[in-house]
Amino acid sequence: MIKVALAQIKPFLGEVNKNLDLHLDLIEQAHQNKVNILLFPELSLTGYLLRDLVPEVALHPSQSPIFQRLLKACQDLIIILGFVEEKEPGLYFNSVACLGRGQIFHIHRKVYLPNYGMFEEGKFFTPGRAITSFDFPYGRAGLLICYDFLHYGTSYALFSGGADYIFVLSAAPGRGFQESPGFASQRMWELMGETISFFSSVFVFYCNRVGFEDGKGFAGGSFIYNPFGQLIAQAPPLDKDMLITDIDPGDLQAARQKRFYRRDNRPEIIWRSLEKIIRND
Amino acid sequence: MTKINLEFVTHFLTSFIRQEYSKLGFQRAIIGLSGGLDSSVAAHLAARALSPANVIGLIMPYRTTPPQDLEDAREVAERLQLRTQTIDITPMIEAYFQSQPTDNNIQRGNKMARERMAILYDFSARYQALILGTSNKTELLLGYCTIHGDMASAINPLGDLYKTQVRLMARHLGVPARIIHKIPSAGFWPGQTDEAELGMSYEEIDQILYHLVDKRKSKQQLLSLGFPEEKIGRIISLIKASEFKRKPPLIPKLSERTVTHDFLYPYDWDK
Repeated sequence: MIKVALAQIKPFLGEVNKNLDLHLDLIEQAHQNKVNILLFPELSLTGYLLRDLVPEVALHPSQSPIFQRLLKACQDLIIILGFVEEKEPGLYFNSVACLGRGQIFHIHRKVYLPNYGMFEEGKFFTPGRAITSFDFPYGRAGLLICYDFLHYGTSYALFSGGADYIFVLSAAPGRGFQESPGFASQRMWELMGETISFFSSVFVFYCNRVGFEDGKGFAGGSFIYNPFGQLIAQAPPLDKDMLITDIDPGDLQAARQKRFYRRDNRPEIIWRSLEKIIRND
Repeated sequence: MTKINLEFVTHFLTSFIRQEYSKLGFQRAIIGLSGGLDSSVAAHLAARALSPANVIGLIMPYRTTPPQDLEDAREVAERLQLRTQTIDITPMIEAYFQSQPTDNNIQRGNKMARERMAILYDFSARYQALILGTSNKTELLLGYCTIHGDMASAINPLGDLYKTQVRLMARHLGVPARIIHKIPSAGFWPGQTDEAELGMSYEEIDQILYHLVDKRKSKQQLLSLGFPEEKIGRIISLIKASEFKRKPPLIPKLSERTVTHDFLYPYDWDK
């Protein structure tokens, strides 16, 4: 069994040091609960609605003392967290990093920056250009950030890259109130979580934040789907939570023996088809 | 309009109020209580979010304010066990209009709204209490409110609820029935009612606004849904005419970085 914790937290906007303390507290809590993997939400080190604060909170992971402190605190624990990355001077990315055991395993830079309605990420961030599965101590994983996950091609790329675990870090404001409790927007995350986990035979972990920034209320509702497409754990909407769940990696093999999407995947056909579409465009 | 989960909305709005007050460093809220629906609902939410001991109700009648409204405002405060203070604005208003006379009722009403605003801000400083707004989505969209008057506040929890939704919230929160069934009035002059002045009921207005704003339907689509052309037209023109009330004042851009143009920081900056 692997013990996974989803930290449904309320980061402080623009205050990296306060957020570092928040992360260190939760890392300590994770150690006490013998957690193996601890997942934070999108931009967990900085808060979400940064706008012109983006350059002020940006980090360079390999040189950042903050990352050094996180690595030191983690020991054997693996954490996945969100931050603003200054990849080269003046280029800022909405990034997530998977780290622990003294090293950074992978950094993903958000590819799909929402830039419509109340969202304006495209104005402040540079879009990432790659979606890559990577090896970490519990198998093969993929990282996605919020709106990345709502484009199903991203999960397909991770699935084809052999990911067993898809970690989605989110800062999704609730929108659309309705008769049942919670926001209408929660449904799209669950719909995608269920679909991707079922049709890719992977675990999907979705960690969303809570709290308010400028009147936008982040909806929480973090969840885990197993490789059979079953919801196995969920945090409440709106309120802070630390959702700790045991998952059975044996489910990966069992799901793939039942449904053969994985074995029968033909990425080369999809690749050729896409290539034709792109060339003819 | 779709049904809404009133308990969820209550939880959402009280969380919002609690978190904003904490971020902004205020324990206490101050609300202008009129005895009407919106301020009663705002007071109930504030009392739940911050505890009644931290909510101050200011009752600010004018000589033409119906005694029933005063009584209703006091009843809300008593039921919630809020601290209240009553300040009669008649002397200030009369003094001003004696020196600057007008028989324009709108001008008189706007002056009263701004007098109440000025008192609220003064009391905000006296009590270190942050002003909780009471403007609903219907009046904000139609501009049926006084800029720098009743629109002035620090945070405005009802701003995304239509008037008819505020009424549903009132029932859920236990606002006295007499207030829920009271005919809405801005109280600019005796006998004034919102619905007579707007020429339609809040049910009709909110349905049209919901389809126009929330559902992004065109005028043509609203017509095919059976809404009367004249009412749709009136609502659209009210929305357009009042956009200035929903925006900060325009600044002509001269420099490379300008307030309201490209000096872009969150409201919650450093909070």
